[in-house]
Amino acid sequence: MSMFVNALLVGLVSVFCMLDSRLLGRLNFEQPLVGATLVGIVLGDPMTGLAVGAATEMVSMGLVQVGAAVPADMVLGGIIASAFACLTGASAETAMTIAVPVAVLGQLLGIVFRSVIAVLTHIADREIEEGDFRTAYSMHIVVGTILYSLMYFIPTFLAVYVGTDLVQSVVDLIPEWLSAGLNVSTKLLTAYGLALLISLSLKKGMAAFLFLGFLLASYLGLSVIAVSALGVVLAVVLMDLKFGKGGAALATADPDYDPLEDDE
Amino acid sequence: MTHTKNDSLNKKISQFFWRSWAIQDSWNYERQMNMGFLYGIVPTLDRCYPDESDPVQLERKKEAYRRHMAFYNCTPQTSAFVLGLASSMEEELAETPDAFDPATINAIKTSLMGPLSGIGDSFFQGTIRVIAFGLGVSLAQQGSIMGPVLAMIISIIPSVLVTWFGAKLGYQGGREYLEKMQSGDLMDRVMYICGVVGLMAIGGMVATLIGATTPLTFSGGSVVIQSILDTILPQMIPLALTGAMYVLIKRNVGSGLLLALSIFGGIALSAFGILV
Repeated sequence: MSMFVNALLVGLVSVFCMLDSRLLGRLNFEQPLVGATLVGIVLGDPMTGLAVGAATEMVSMGLVQVGAAVPADMVLGGIIASAFACLTGASAETAMTIAVPVAVLGQLLGIVFRSVIAVLTHIADREIEEGDFRTAYSMHIVVGTILYSLMYFIPTFLAVYVGTDLVQSVVDLIPEWLSAGLNVSTKLLTAYGLALLISLSLKKGMAAFLFLGFLLASYLGLSVIAVSALGVVLAVVLMDLKFGKGGAALATADPDYDPLEDDE
Repeated sequence: MTHTKNDSLNKKISQFFWRSWAIQDSWNYERQMNMGFLYGIVPTLDRCYPDESDPVQLERKKEAYRRHMAFYNCTPQTSAFVLGLASSMEEELAETPDAFDPATINAIKTSLMGPLSGIGDSFFQGTIRVIAFGLGVSLAQQGSIMGPVLAMIISIIPSVLVTWFGAKLGYQGGREYLEKMQSGDLMDRVMYICGVVGLMAIGGMVATLIGATTPLTFSGGSVVIQSILDTILPQMIPLALTGAMYVLIKRNVGSGLLLALSIFGGIALSAFGILV
């Protein structure tokens, strides 16, 4: 396949991932694990894509997009890193050295773009005054879609089409101590991401559950899904203690339900 | 008769469904999802004011469009509820323009935004995404393509359910239902379950996803620090790293600085042979 076709395919994967949060309510196609694996599939090397995807996903696990905050764009980082790993045969660890700087650049791009795109709102305001309602909402569904797609397509296309050799030669120059060091950096970044997640979700008196989850996984070697399943059971049991028994009333959402009635 | 009525109800609900998913399509710093909300409510407004040649209707239509250009930001899936509710209020306003204060529509939107994005983000971003991709990554690391596939399945199902039933509830009996939720403690219970499961999953991820160890040894390699640590508490280093990051975040250290600290700190710790 020519590099033009490769660049086009990777560009289209990036557009698909970006449009997930624009048009599909963020179903999580826009995640490094999914984006990087899709790049691996279109470039004919799904296993490499999967490995890069797993590595980048771990870094981004804790980077939650809440309100106006734009986190480091690990999706863009994962997609471009996966493309380079598939096209140059670099390992997933080496590809990570590309993913992190690309993710930071993507974050800056996202901030600038989301400021500039406010212009569309002002155009729509004016069209409503003119009575041209269709043009007003087209600013959202047509122009918004196109601009957000281009914001992802142009950098990914250029990075793959123009940059493969350039990035390859840069990657060749990376000394052993630096790639070993960046490997530790990704672990620290994962810790940072998880700490961010904790700072968002930790409420007063709930820290014990965090440690319980940790201890179950560290001492007993349980997987995350096993810990979550136990968590559901535990939460349901504790809920009855905390709020009183109300399972049946809860299911029907009876408006006359009174938790005190159980204490007969 | 009832059959056609149901058809048109389902058509409306599916409009709220798809359009609430598209709510971030022109996300901007100034008014965030304002045009997304407008786009969602356009079919309702066009139904309410079909005759643009009538100057009174045209003026009311412009006013309604302007109303929904106001600042809005909420999780897309829970926005379907707000969209359904606001649409039922717009219909009421169009039927009885003199008895209904239009300002209540935006007041309701604004008051729902906060709690519903709180619940929505902690459920979808904090709980579902964490479980789906925590599992996905652990399968992907074993080289299984089922990792991303399973992560997507776990992500999509709750998203579809919450959006569809949210839109339906909002449109059919929004205000009444909301009163029920607030008078009972259903909201508190849902938040409690999400909190417990989310935190336990994060705790599990600290133990399984970071995987940092120390290569330090003493007395010519006979004392291996890592195996001593493992006998006390396995995964102690990842726990300490996460704890340190948490303290820094709580002391309001900026995200750029922490990002740089992670990258350069990692290189330094590796170069000095402290962490692998």
